[in-house]
Amino acid sequence: MIIELHEFTRVEGNGKAEIVIEDGEVKDVRLKIIEGPRFFELLTLGRHYYDVPDLEARICAICYLSHSVASVLGIERAFGVEVPEEIQLIRELGLIGELLESHALHLYLLVAPDVFGYPDAIRMATKHGELVKEGLALKSFGNRIRVLVGGREIHGINVKPGGFGRYPSVEELERVEKESEALLRLARRAVRLFAQLDPYGARAEHFVATDGYLWGEKLVSEEGEQFHYTERIEERSLVYSFAKQSRYKGEPFFVGALPRLLLKADMLTPTAKRLFEEHRDKLATGYVSYNNLAQAIELVYSLERANEIAKVLLDRGIKGENVPVEAREGEGIGYVEAPRGVLIHHYRIDGNGKVAYSNIITPTALNHAMMEASLLEEARELYGEADEMAMIQRLEETVRAFDPCISCSVHLVKL
Amino acid sequence: MMDKLKLGVFELTDCGGCALNMLFLYERLFDLLEFYEITEFHMATSLSEGNHYDVALVTGTVSTQRDLNLLKEARNHSDYLIALGTCATHGSVQASVELPIREKLKAVYGDEGNPMRALDSKPVVEYVAVDFALPGCPYDKNEVYQVLLDIAKGIEPVRKDYPVCLECKLNEYECVLVKKGLPCLGPITYGGCNAVCVRSGLGCIGCRGPLPGEVNPAGEYEVLRELGYDDEYIIRKFKTFARWEP
Ligand code: SF4
Ligand code: SF4
Repeated sequence: MIIELHEFTRVEGNGKAEIVIEDGEVKDVRLKIIEGPRFFELLTLGRHYYDVPDLEARICAICYLSHSVASVLGIERAFGVEVPEEIQLIRELGLIGELLESHALHLYLLVAPDVFGYPDAIRMATKHGELVKEGLALKSFGNRIRVLVGGREIHGINVKPGGFGRYPSVEELERVEKESEALLRLARRAVRLFAQLDPYGARAEHFVATDGYLWGEKLVSEEGEQFHYTERIEERSLVYSFAKQSRYKGEPFFVGALPRLLLKADMLTPTAKRLFEEHRDKLATGYVSYNNLAQAIELVYSLERANEIAKVLLDRGIKGENVPVEAREGEGIGYVEAPRGVLIHHYRIDGNGKVAYSNIITPTALNHAMMEASLLEEARELYGEADEMAMIQRLEETVRAFDPCISCSVHLVKL
Repeated sequence: MMDKLKLGVFELTDCGGCALNMLFLYERLFDLLEFYEITEFHMATSLSEGNHYDVALVTGTVSTQRDLNLLKEARNHSDYLIALGTCATHGSVQASVELPIREKLKAVYGDEGNPMRALDSKPVVEYVAVDFALPGCPYDKNEVYQVLLDIAKGIEPVRKDYPVCLECKLNEYECVLVKKGLPCLGPITYGGCNAVCVRSGLGCIGCRGPLPGEVNPAGEYEVLRELGYDDEYIIRKFKTFARWEP
């Protein structure tokens, strides 16, 4: 017998799951990514490098800037280009805006209705209007940063190899400095709210993140050493899904807010670090559902860090100079922490500046095996105990905790 | 007060941006809710209670059999259907990969046939008649707001009829094509975004698709050639969002 979870709601993109029951027991779970394939690697093949980040941004709307930045990093590494700290800080600010926008969307509009027992945030707003408004305030601040750095709320083209089309002005940075401070109170409330949830889903045993907080040169895991994805992560196709599945040394693993906190707590800002310490015991159990709490702590981190960056840039003044980029044959990998976890863009570029090879692996694809493991565990626990509707509802919540981004996941390829 | 209009948002294969952009209306979404009741919008709500929609917004391309079924359902159950965003109106980036579907699947997933019934990505407008087409990758949210208000008030919304280039002039942005030699498709691209990319000092990449009618793609082609861009580069640029034959 097969129990079907119909298309997930309140997640980005189209996916569903099947629970396979045999002899009265849960035998297997299949997470089906039914969003059509989008073939981004084929799209970029043969393209001039300059146009590639703008196209890659279209992989996903919620985290377009992570894709542009990962793409730009891959291209710059292929050419051996290094950019100065000013450009790095502005890129980081953009990624922070994205983290705020994406986490606030997830926590307040997609997860909170579960917590309070509503089908959506619009209906929740009648009773908990204040909370929904707070979420929207955080989210729209994140979006304003995305406009500032990326050029538009969605699919901006301002992030370029070697720099930006336009640099933020003093007034704009002053506004970031002020608003990030004012919003901090709301983010701390979110931490209190999401700290109350009981755990569900599986406990992850392996965690992977980039070696810097929001991007890096390499990846790290709970084992400590740095590595390239090609050394330890393997991808394979599934007949029932348009997303490929990845494994770390052959096993399911977890990327996202919780892994970032667990692996990189020492890089956190002061308040975020304090909150992490306060909840460390819980978080360290590795339950994927604590990803929600981890995201709330990252709201605090993002606001504090945005504030720091704005201050540093205001102190030093913005030069606004791009680094010249010259195409040459080369290979480079960009590693970024998208809001949902590690994002990899890997390119080989030929002597004419055209893309000859490209591979993109998104957080949702990296988490695919872990999501299945988590569903399996939860289904085993609930099958026969809870009634079927309640079980399905809880399984949906289990998937939602990963904050999956399905549009992102459907085009993974080695060429 | 009059009964509210029933609104459905349907998402086919895409990046999620055109559905997300509706949520980015923030308070103005609540203004729209004075006129509309959202009865289908799977990114935002777990409810799905509609069997008839006064207005259906469809985003994304038809890239699987599932997409096609959903599109037909939306069409059959709605009075006014809007193809929303360049995926829906022109196919956007994913439709510009021109290999046949079997070859694409093979290159990406290995040799496993087509178990999930993928189709070549095509815009919504190639399968069903639409009542209004609003392009943009993503569309400008002010525009969709206005269109939905117009419909609620019984006014037929208007299509803009000028290129992005004009919006640069109105904003007094420096022309990046003439001044910086950047490849900019603004002169032949359907306006309505307020030239937002040129505001960053960068060329328009044509995300709203070609403006139909009097524009001059051949002229644009010549300008880009004179700036030193080769034919292949220019053609690819023209084709990226709208499979546009110069
Ligand atoms: S038109 Fe652009 S923004 Fe809209 S769904 Fe398609 S790719 Fe995303
Ligand atoms: S300027 Fe061009 S690329 Fe930018 S939003 Fe407008 S139409 Fe799209």
